[in-house]
Amino acid sequence: MAVRPIRLYPDPILKRPTAPVCLTDPALPDLIQDLLDTLEASPGVALAAPQIGYPVRMIVVDVTRKKGSHGHGLVVLTNPRVLYQECPRIVREGCLSVPDYTGNVRRFEQTVVEGTAPDGRVVILTTSGLEAQAYQHEIDHLEGTLFLDRLDSLSTDLFRRRGR
Amino acid sequence: MRTRRPALDNRYAMLTAFGQDRPGIVAALAEGLYHLGCNIEDTCMTRLRDEFAMMLLVRLPAGLAPDQLPDRLTPKTGPLRLTLLSREVHPKTATDTSTTQAPNLMLSVYGADRPGIVAAVARVVANHGGNITDLNTRVIGSPDRPVYAMVLEIHLAGGAQSESFQAALESLKPTLGVDITLRPIESVQL
Repeated sequence: MAVRPIRLYPDPILKRPTAPVCLTDPALPDLIQDLLDTLEASPGVALAAPQIGYPVRMIVVDVTRKKGSHGHGLVVLTNPRVLYQECPRIVREGCLSVPDYTGNVRRFEQTVVEGTAPDGRVVILTTSGLEAQAYQHEIDHLEGTLFLDRLDSLSTDLFRRRGR
Repeated sequence: MRTRRPALDNRYAMLTAFGQDRPGIVAALAEGLYHLGCNIEDTCMTRLRDEFAMMLLVRLPAGLAPDQLPDRLTPKTGPLRLTLLSREVHPKTATDTSTTQAPNLMLSVYGADRPGIVAAVARVVANHGGNITDLNTRVIGSPDRPVYAMVLEIHLAGGAQSESFQAALESLKPTLGVDITLRPIESVQL
């Protein structure tokens, strides 16, 4: 279909929770194609529908777009949710919707994600590392949560620990 | 709430403020700048032990010169006994937000405290064309066995691929008696 412009904060769509996707919605194939086309044209490895202007619960993830990264390859998921996550760690990330800024956020090293593929199959993915981080980041978008809402520290600072 | 404010000039100042830390310093500085009609652009503050330090890039209102800032802020900040310094920043520099100098390497250096660690490490970075973009050092450990810990973020063209940089760091280990770890900064664009 088309490469859509990526919505940038403070576009209000990025801060609103999104609506569930109905698989029989006739507009669905176009939305999927727009997400795929826009991801393809972007420097990122994942996108959520609200980032291209659709306030619905759909994401695309393909961490193999980043050299040296492994995972499940290109996945389109509707109504995804995190079933389980473990091993929190601090990672540095940025967002296509918040250009020129990166921050340290707490993400889980292992994440099990459940969602529905466009053909109606229920998909359960066990992800780790960058792929797990990408799913957490995109599912956050569906809740209107940005990485800015999850910043854990201002900069890399080994010494200031809480509770000391 | 909007009050009538003087028009902003295309002039910028770098204001630095430091002094003994206490609650209310940032509030007093920010209020003082606001009442003068300044616009705070980027800022950075930290504390070293009990000392407060802050840098503020400020856009100035018409009619206010950079060197007037410290005096004009005194009514607000006077009781805090801060040292204030201000100098003009060229508008081109002040508005350049390019990320070409984003750090791509993280360097941890630690070992028994001794003079010269920062100097030697920083010299190696500089000699390889690296730019230190962030630096933190702390004396940790116990008083009788102090440990010096230093973390640097560096922008270096070529990143961790620079073998001569790695070799130079390696040669510092026995000389300084420190452990050194160099690793790429992984930042994911999602």
